[in-house]
Amino acid sequence: MIPLEFVLIVSSALFAIGAAGVILKKNAIQVLMAIELMLNAANINLVAFSTYFGDAKGQGFALISIGIAAAEVTIGLAILLNLNKLRKTVDVDDINLLRW
Amino acid sequence: MDILEYAWLIPVLPLLAFVIVGFLGSKMKDKGGIVSILGVGAGMVIALWSAYELLTTGRIYRDSFEWVILSSDYSLEMGIFLDSVAAMMLIVVSFISFLVVIYSTAYMHDEGPRRHRYFTEICLFVGVMLGLVLANNFFQMFVFWELVGLCSYLLIGFWFERPSAARAAKKAFLVTRVGDVMFMIGLFILFTELHTLNYESVWAALDTADPAMMAFAAFFLFGGAIGKSAQFPLHDWLPDAMEGPTTVSALIHAATMVNAGVYLVARAFPIIATSAEVSLFVGAIGGITAFLAATMALCAPKIKGVLAYSTVSQLGYMILGLGAGAFLWNKGYHVEASIAFGAGLFHLMNHAFFKGQLFLGAGSVIHYVDTEELSRMGGLGKYMKVTSITMLISCLSIAGIPPLSGFWSKDEVLSVTFDAGDAGLTFMVLWVLGVLTAFMTAFYMFRMWFMVFKGQPREGSKQAIEHGHHHEAPIAMLAPLVILAALAFGSGFSLFIGDGFFGAIYYEHAHVLSIGERLEEVFTSPLTYVSIVAAVGGIMLAYYSFYKPKISAEKVVAKGFPKAMHQLLLDRYKFPVAYDKIGYAGLYGFSLLLDKFDRYIIDGIVNGISAFLIRAGGTVRKLQNGFVQSYATLLLFGVSVVLILLYVVGALR
Repeated sequence: MIPLEFVLIVSSALFAIGAAGVILKKNAIQVLMAIELMLNAANINLVAFSTYFGDAKGQGFALISIGIAAAEVTIGLAILLNLNKLRKTVDVDDINLLRW
Repeated sequence: MDILEYAWLIPVLPLLAFVIVGFLGSKMKDKGGIVSILGVGAGMVIALWSAYELLTTGRIYRDSFEWVILSSDYSLEMGIFLDSVAAMMLIVVSFISFLVVIYSTAYMHDEGPRRHRYFTEICLFVGVMLGLVLANNFFQMFVFWELVGLCSYLLIGFWFERPSAARAAKKAFLVTRVGDVMFMIGLFILFTELHTLNYESVWAALDTADPAMMAFAAFFLFGGAIGKSAQFPLHDWLPDAMEGPTTVSALIHAATMVNAGVYLVARAFPIIATSAEVSLFVGAIGGITAFLAATMALCAPKIKGVLAYSTVSQLGYMILGLGAGAFLWNKGYHVEASIAFGAGLFHLMNHAFFKGQLFLGAGSVIHYVDTEELSRMGGLGKYMKVTSITMLISCLSIAGIPPLSGFWSKDEVLSVTFDAGDAGLTFMVLWVLGVLTAFMTAFYMFRMWFMVFKGQPREGSKQAIEHGHHHEAPIAMLAPLVILAALAFGSGFSLFIGDGFFGAIYYEHAHVLSIGERLEEVFTSPLTYVSIVAAVGGIMLAYYSFYKPKISAEKVVAKGFPKAMHQLLLDRYKFPVAYDKIGYAGLYGFSLLLDKFDRYIIDGIVNGISAFLIRAGGTVRKLQNGFVQSYATLLLFGVSVVLILLYVVGALR
């Protein structure tokens, strides 16, 4: 069996990549994808700990989390579609309307 | 059946009438008159029965429950404490209230729907006044004390659309408030020193208490009495209070509420007696009030004005008697002190009857001639036989002509003051003032009586007679007059029932004399003849000034010093002006100062804080730049910092 630490290193790396993507990418779709990476890093953690402790609840959580992530992505994409329609852009630097 | 078990019903029944009349009175045909009579009457029956039980058996009845529990050691009670003093007050208050309510049904008849408010307030007053009498501790007394003050305010301002009535109500409320604040300070001192306010616990704790603090407590409690019983220098509200209906003046401002102050002094008597200085102060205030008020009554232009000043003056007598008693007790003359204590309360009872009668008689006169100015009356004796004769009896009684009630009690007060003169010379001066007051009392009462009932009818009377008023007031008004006149004549004879008044109502040392001994003591003393001569002299002077005018009052006050004096008396020694000066210049100036403080300092702090927050918010909100990625960066950074810190302090290990 793969030791728990290895899995955690992978998920941490995945999370860091996702976080970097969220902060650095200019394309909103890429940001959305980076968020998915971060979510999946968390899911990997859930499954890993679930196996490690021999408790199936963690896998259940992971499944719920994936389902919710799918729903959330549809909303995110719908917002981006409308944004593209109205403002002809998906560049996050151009979208700063919600401010003082 | 032990009636005292039901003593709690005494205030509750009138209060029940208050609730019924208050909610349903406007729908009743007589606006609640009958219900008020029934409620107050039922309370009276129990009150008189209880008083009979208490006075004949000499029992003391106690009943109480803890009302406000402040901690395991300190609590305030609500309860009943009935002794002979309370019994006497019960008789006076419940009986006169009952008669006044009956009288009111006729007197207030023309007021129409407004009678609803009148009867509601009267029932409330009777209930809380009886509650005040029943109280077993100073705090409960204070609660009811404030409630009777409220009723007084409401009823003085009964005709609130008259500016003078509204002003008088406000003045009565505010001036008595000065006394109430002093009463409260007295309560605070008592409670912090003795940890109780129950009469009996307080009396028992006095021996071990700090005498200086007890002197302060006595002084401040007496301050409350000064306000409520209209003593110098807070006496000026009572003459103004005559703006209310005459029945209210009779009930509240002559026979019951103003006696609450005297009752307080009687309850605080042991506390006052611990200090010779405070006792002397009490006596001096009483004597000065009696004298000053009597001088002001000499030339009062209105019939109710004369009676109001007279009330203040007679209350001064009662306070003088109690003050002399406390002083005598302090100096060790315990038997004399006990008599003095009884004398003050004896005068309270007699005064309540004859002054109540005089006010109701004045109401009957005002009802007839529709004016209060003495100079517009005259010659009414022929048309108002019952009123004039009953009022004559009361006038003789208050003047102190034997064997009417006023004679016995006034003589007793003067004689105890004279006794106190042996121990302190100040009381000699007060005795002289008292005798002069007795002379003036006889003069001003008969001045009033002659001006109203004798001589030629002047314009007010003439109009009334020409308009065909040949009848007196209805029976509901005359019956109380006659009953009270009978009491004004005979209440003094309670001195000779059983062990006598001084045997029943006393402070620790009963002074029991048989009828013969009592009469001998009174009529062998030269002091008695001094007061009789003063009374007769006053009546004679009034007779020759206003009935057989050998002396013209107008000429006497036409010029020079008497004229200036007359004007000063009409200006009430400038007291109203002084009140206004203190009120406007002093308190108003102080209030302005506080207003400035509030506006610039308190508001400045509040506005400063809000202005700072608005500015700071304006600066900080620039951080919200709308770029999602900068938020995410900050979030990540923040969470990382928190995690690292938690790791460093060891929370994650």
